[in-house]
Amino acid sequence: MRLRVQYTAQLRTVVGRTEEEIEFPEGSNLAELLVHLASELRREAAPFLLTAGGELQPSLLVALNHGAVSSCNARAVLVNAGDVVTLLPPIAGG
Amino acid sequence: MLPLPELTADERSRYEWQLWVRGFGEEGQRRLKAATVFVSRIGGVGGTVAMQLAAAGVGRLILAHAGDLRLNDLNRQLLMTTDGIGKPRIESAVRRLRELNPYVLVDAIGENVSAANAERLVGSADVVVSAAPLFEERLEMNRQAVRRGVPLVDCAMYELEGRLLTVLPGRTPCLSCLYPEKPPHWKREFPVFGAVASTVGSLAAMEVIKLAAGLGDPPKGRLLNFDLRDLTFTTITVDRRTDCAVCGSR
Repeated sequence: MRLRVQYTAQLRTVVGRTEEEIEFPEGSNLAELLVHLASELRREAAPFLLTAGGELQPSLLVALNHGAVSSCNARAVLVNAGDVVTLLPPIAGG
Repeated sequence: MLPLPELTADERSRYEWQLWVRGFGEEGQRRLKAATVFVSRIGGVGGTVAMQLAAAGVGRLILAHAGDLRLNDLNRQLLMTTDGIGKPRIESAVRRLRELNPYVLVDAIGENVSAANAERLVGSADVVVSAAPLFEERLEMNRQAVRRGVPLVDCAMYELEGRLLTVLPGRTPCLSCLYPEKPPHWKREFPVFGAVASTVGSLAAMEVIKLAAGLGDPPKGRLLNFDLRDLTFTTITVDRRTDCAVCGSR
């Protein structure tokens, strides 16, 4: 199936693109998608997605079709064809 | 509850254009005059917030920001002037705000938010605005706002992007529901245009005005995320986390 991944803020800078369509197996969950992206994207992107211990990065805000999904629920949420996954690393003022 | 303060003839004239706004009027203006707003940091974002709130006639502003102005602040910190380089930012901010609107009381604190002062500063205000570049300060502001039941408007920016979250304690997700811990990769300095800072700051100021005056609807459980590179504004729905260490049990 095909789904769309959007990158924002520092992650966009590191990845070098705003969004992309990717092919991913049917029946996969959101956590599996994030682990997959961490291995496929440039090495500098991985720490935004996963902790040093390989867990989902708690400070990454992940939205599925514009609804936030907390990292502790990501294994329970399936992704489907046509879904839009937005990755929003934390940013601040200044 | 104290009666709302009256407006003088000069104030009616000064705020005339906004007094015409549907649902605001003289009572809304009097609510603003009665309000105290605390703004953490008065840089590119917070300085715009403070400027807009002063222009709109918020009665009292509490501003906190440590340190002296640097040359590379001036692309975005519109309360500052070139002759203020090397001098405390807070002094320039107070002077500019008083020039803009002498009716507004400005309490200037030459320090940043910390565990030592956050409770007092947040507890002194009706609405608080978090515009600091460091997550230690932002998460502390959020903690105290939730604890004290004070509405918080949290503002953020990066490059041409901006985000805005309004926290209504006990009713909407708090900042820690989104970011449960200090992010490991955030850097104190980052790419951004002043126009992005001003956009976020103006949006935040409007949210504060709405909250203080009882105008419109706050975005409950919706994070605004915008990208001025292609002028896209989207909202992300966010739920409260039952396991949130800050607001989960409140």
